[in-house]
Amino acid sequence: MDTALTPQERATLEAAMARVIPTDEHPGAREAGAIDWLERYLAGDAVYAKPDGSGFQTLTGRLADAWERRIATLRERYRTGAAELDRVAGERFGARFAELEGERQDAVLAELERGATLTRERTQAAILEDELPFFALLALHTRQAFYSDPVYGGNRDQVGWRHIGFPGPATMADALEDRYTTDDYLA
Amino acid sequence: MTTSPEPRRGRKPDRVDVCIVGGGASGATAAKVLTEAGARVAILERGPWLKPKDFSPDELANVNRFYLTPDPLLHPRTHRASADEPARVSRFSPTPFIVGGGTAHWTGWVPRMFEEDFEMRSRHGEVAGADLADWPISYADLEPYYDKVEWSLGVSGDAGANVHEAPRSRGYPLPSLPQTRYAKRFREGCEAAGHGSFQMPIAMRGKPFGGRPATLQSAFVQTMGDPSGTRGGAAQTFVPDAVATGRLDLRPDCYVRELTAGPEGAVTAALYEDAEGVLYEQEADVFVVACNAIESARLLLLSTSAAFPDGLANHNGLVGRFLTLHEYTEAIGVFDGEPLYPWAGGGYISAGTADFYATDPDRGFVGGGLIAAGSAGFPLPVNWSLPEKPAWGAEAKRIDREYFNHSMSAGIVLQDLPQATNVVDLDPDVRDAWGVPVARVTHRAHPNDIAQANWLVDRCGEILDAAGATKVWRNYIDSITGNAVHQHGTLRMGEDPEASVVDAACRSHSVANLYVVDGSVFPTPSGVNPTLTIMANAWRVAEGIARARSAT
Repeated sequence: MDTALTPQERATLEAAMARVIPTDEHPGAREAGAIDWLERYLAGDAVYAKPDGSGFQTLTGRLADAWERRIATLRERYRTGAAELDRVAGERFGARFAELEGERQDAVLAELERGATLTRERTQAAILEDELPFFALLALHTRQAFYSDPVYGGNRDQVGWRHIGFPGPATMADALEDRYTTDDYLA
Repeated sequence: MTTSPEPRRGRKPDRVDVCIVGGGASGATAAKVLTEAGARVAILERGPWLKPKDFSPDELANVNRFYLTPDPLLHPRTHRASADEPARVSRFSPTPFIVGGGTAHWTGWVPRMFEEDFEMRSRHGEVAGADLADWPISYADLEPYYDKVEWSLGVSGDAGANVHEAPRSRGYPLPSLPQTRYAKRFREGCEAAGHGSFQMPIAMRGKPFGGRPATLQSAFVQTMGDPSGTRGGAAQTFVPDAVATGRLDLRPDCYVRELTAGPEGAVTAALYEDAEGVLYEQEADVFVVACNAIESARLLLLSTSAAFPDGLANHNGLVGRFLTLHEYTEAIGVFDGEPLYPWAGGGYISAGTADFYATDPDRGFVGGGLIAAGSAGFPLPVNWSLPEKPAWGAEAKRIDREYFNHSMSAGIVLQDLPQATNVVDLDPDVRDAWGVPVARVTHRAHPNDIAQANWLVDRCGEILDAAGATKVWRNYIDSITGNAVHQHGTLRMGEDPEASVVDAACRSHSVANLYVVDGSVFPTPSGVNPTLTIMANAWRVAEGIARARSAT
């Protein structure tokens, strides 16, 4: 599988994700490995984890075709978006996005956000990534990377889950083998 | 659209007594009853037959990447608010396309309908702009079947705790599950506000029952498959019951493209395509449609013949009409103090109140709905949210950290009114990945729906205020989006052949060997989660089919 992003695109997007979920007294998107989550997703071979967490399912037939189309579209949107971040950063501050300090990065992101319709959802789950403009996609995927099962490459050492106090399973296999319950969290 | 080569034809499978299209809640129930009565049954299920080992606690796959539900790139639907605007591709009302259907992703709320839900027309008369109809059966007709389903699944609940509940022949098979913190907080709010409340009856078992194990309590339940195999869904219960008879042939990944009808109009075969793209004709004496209300209507409309040029059983143009959907909305509150852990048990081991269910003419609208506790937005980390939360940045992160475990909702099941203009038909332009026209939903909420929803949301807000929330948001609605993933009404049940599609036995008025067992037949949707009623009615209809077979 090709590398999904060039080194510069990767650096730009990693910096942008680190502003979507910034590092404060708790780890943020950078420490969670969100960029690895994204690169793995955009490479196209990490759509569905195997239920026991031992790698990823191989898709076939129409399902494989659909996901190939979807991810090709997303990859293009990220390439264009990363270029746009660097272009705006260059115009306003004379440097690449990744080289700016945090507040200036936020100013660039806010400029891109203005063009994007963000869904301030009570229906996160209903959001279709196929239709999202770049900035909304970046915000959605950073959240997915930070809080999804670590098997997908983000939420490293469960930093996302620990940040909010969610006791997820140690591995996905725990749920298959009935070792994972929430019985300790009742009234 | 590329033109596919002419598909290969496979050898005809053996004729069966009953062919059921759809292996979800209603199809599996019918299969259990029919096979146990001695019939040979084939279920043709479009989706896969996933087993516990195929599921996992994977929020991303299940909720965001269509692991269970129709991927709009493969199975699009289109939606528009009225006939004079273009329909857009949409992920409208995405019930899972797998064996188990809606019960593959449900938590298992199983309240019964109330007595008045069967008599909406008699009780309320003509409501302008709506098309209310009585059910041709009563609560009393269905009560024995509610009982059978509750005792087969192993439902946990407290009979009588809901003081508005209709008469029951006996209690629930299992006591309520241990209470969650969010349910307890909800009940405290109800009590403080002067309302009754009860623990929501749920298709989960607190201990082994009826030869089935206790339900393993996970955070990964709502909208998720079941890796433990212990929840009370159709695939974990009625499918194995039917398989155990040796008379069920359940064929997954078999997409029925049409039901073919003979010159007299009776169904002769189900024409279906398997995963390899080979076409087969399944012959049977009786055909049962069980694809859920949107897809069942679509299948009949796709099944045109000389006898039925406008779609099978569509003798009066009513196939696809009167679609009702419920809608979820809620008030959301945040709380100081002890965490609520709103994901424990999957976020919906819940409590509810039916104090706002019955119609009160002084409110200016017909009907009412259940109010019950749940999570804010969604109970798991990726998809959890709070109103007004920014999409990114330090403040968004702070809100996640402070409120993920300190938030909950009081939400409603909207009892929407049927309207003849809310229709499922075939989209003239959009086809699915198999080249078949997709369902087009034309749906606009009735003013009564919006008034009822927003009045109930205010009651939800009062309950959270009374429970001690430090801040409450009220999510008012101005449309119905299909977010409840409940579907009813498109193949209306009634006595009058000119005003309905199927009769009280859920047999087509115009096709003698065609039955419908899913929510399509509901003349009105009630204001409670429909699946228990769908299963109870499917059981009743299947018994009728079995009785008719043994009489011949």
